[in-house]
Amino acid sequence: MGAQIYKNKKLIWIFLLPAFLFMFVYLYYPFVRNILNSFMHIKYMGTAGGEWNSPWYKNYLALLSDPKMKIALKNTAITIAATIIGQVGIALILALLVSNIKRGSGFFRTVFFFPIVISATALGLLFNLIFLYDKGMINQFLQFAGILNREANELIDWKAKHAMFTMLTPVIWQYVGFYFVILLTGLAGIPDDLYESATIDGATRWQSVRYITLPLLRNSIGTCVILAVTGALKVFDLPWTMFVNGMSNTWLTGTYMYSKVYSDVDYASAIAVVIVVIGVMLSAAVNRIFRQNVDYQA
Amino acid sequence: MKKRLAATLAGIMAAAVCASPALAEGVTINVTTTYAGEDSNAQNFKDSVAAWEEESGNKVEDSSATSDESFKSRIITDFEAGSEPDVLFFFNGVDANQFVEQGKVVSIDEIREEYPDYASNMKDDMLGASPADGVNYSVPVNGYWEGMFVNKEVLEEAGVEVPGNETTWDEFLEMCGKIKDAGYTPIAASLQEIPHYWFEYAIYNFQSAATHNTMPESVDDEYGQAWVDGLNDIKALYEAGYFPENTLTATDAETFQLFTSDKAAFLIDGSWKIGGIAEAVDDIENYTVTHVPGKGDRKTTDEIGGLSMGYYITRKAWDDDEKRDAAVSFVSFMTSDDVVSKFAGVSATALKEGASPDVSEFNSLQNDALAYTASFTGISPAVQDNLSAAAREPIFADMASIVNGDVDAADAVAAVLEANAE
Repeated sequence: MGAQIYKNKKLIWIFLLPAFLFMFVYLYYPFVRNILNSFMHIKYMGTAGGEWNSPWYKNYLALLSDPKMKIALKNTAITIAATIIGQVGIALILALLVSNIKRGSGFFRTVFFFPIVISATALGLLFNLIFLYDKGMINQFLQFAGILNREANELIDWKAKHAMFTMLTPVIWQYVGFYFVILLTGLAGIPDDLYESATIDGATRWQSVRYITLPLLRNSIGTCVILAVTGALKVFDLPWTMFVNGMSNTWLTGTYMYSKVYSDVDYASAIAVVIVVIGVMLSAAVNRIFRQNVDYQA
Repeated sequence: MKKRLAATLAGIMAAAVCASPALAEGVTINVTTTYAGEDSNAQNFKDSVAAWEEESGNKVEDSSATSDESFKSRIITDFEAGSEPDVLFFFNGVDANQFVEQGKVVSIDEIREEYPDYASNMKDDMLGASPADGVNYSVPVNGYWEGMFVNKEVLEEAGVEVPGNETTWDEFLEMCGKIKDAGYTPIAASLQEIPHYWFEYAIYNFQSAATHNTMPESVDDEYGQAWVDGLNDIKALYEAGYFPENTLTATDAETFQLFTSDKAAFLIDGSWKIGGIAEAVDDIENYTVTHVPGKGDRKTTDEIGGLSMGYYITRKAWDDDEKRDAAVSFVSFMTSDDVVSKFAGVSATALKEGASPDVSEFNSLQNDALAYTASFTGISPAVQDNLSAAAREPIFADMASIVNGDVDAADAVAAVLEANAE
């Protein structure tokens, strides 16, 4: 009976059709529509594009000379670097440490993964309070420690003077646990015999990590880096909660696109296209970097 | 056997459907207003909704929110997505053009064809005709004015008198200097989030009550130049350190807290803020309201104010036979003489008979506000109400860049006018 099901290909098509239709209606059609919209003049959000822009690539020309777009691209590049080093890097270190302990690994898995289940908006509000200018946690602590003059009510405006640091800290912190779990799963797949053989051959702990763990974890790291890069390109919720309207020149491609949606729909569409193009290019580059190891585990 | 089981189950389900209680009587309408947060009438609105629900047997799904750019965007998006409320209390200026032009709200004339008494207690010429087509769509409740609230304790500590009807802009700057020297923040304002009030008065200071609401044709004409000069005045205030240290990153709530916790002296805001201040402070007598000091042709006692918002009934609700009556009944109730008088407090109304608020229940700030409104020598609507959302952006979303010198005020004004012309 079971084998009979797979012989009848029509059934497979029937089961695939709803998912395909869903993807077509809610992803592929809007995606293509968005590309067309980026070349058209759209007066209000939700209304159909009336006529082609003149010239039709007007929005893309404007993007080239838009100072905010330059800021957004620069900040997004910083965010990508910060997420690769901060999120994937820290996650890798944590995963290596946790995989080497016998007791309590379950506890650490839960602790490090926990920030992901908190909504980005709630985290944004939380970190708003932590970095708050007057009576914020960090400023109070610095006053208490004598680093800031409490008598003169000396305070640091974190959102103005250290804007990118203030914005990226919670972004990195939130997703470390996500990559930590992926990498820990990858580590669990490495056979213990390899380490045992290496130990018998006199390898140190660092040599085991350098010559066994990291090469065998390469595919997992590659996946994490692709997720981190594409995630950084479209990160929106947490930065927007903390730095609404690109405050202190903290525009990211995602937040800048959103800010334009209500005032210049077709321009926002063009930004969305740029985000996709950059995302695809960077993903392909990361894939290429990590692909050479595909046959390593085979 | 299977057929018998199926028949039995069908019978049970049918019986369950028949036995379930009938749907509750009454209609539920979706309503969105700006009576929320620190708005003086937030509680009045809740009370009035409850009274209407009890009287009519209908229900209100309330999604009111504080009035800001996000609220305006949300409303526009809701209309575009077809999820607009049945009734909304919204601006009657350019902000409503989009859904007015698309025929998504019903005109008062059309409503009166079926309900002749609709808004008959209002002066038609004060209803607030849409700039899109000159037709009345909304029924106003209470007017507004924008004034300068004062923390008297901070002024006393700084050895400064409360600004009066004759205080000039230069004297105001001197006061700010003294307040700053005394260790306080002269002006509580978030230029990052709500620079709107300062923009309005700063450019008003280069115009008069008669000319303030005139849109510039270009950045070089006298009105355009007034806008540039006004923005440069805000920049000068920022450079003098009269705004909070973190004015370019703080939220409006943060700077408001500076004012209510005796750390800042002045706050320009609307008449709707009186309730918010009364709720936030222990001693309301420590606060008063006065005129924003003027210069040039603008007398200090010339104010910003008017009737800028009203209740709309959406086409969606109007075309729904079940909701039409409820929507009309709701708006009629909320704009009745009694309710409007309760909401009006110390502001103007469009009532034919005039409002009759119960002044015996007024606190000292409300009494000060009554005296303040009595001293108006001129009043002008906010000119920013003539700007589309896209046109407001180069100034309101970019005030930080203007005051820190990254963007020239003239360029910002030119960008506003260009966006508004599109």
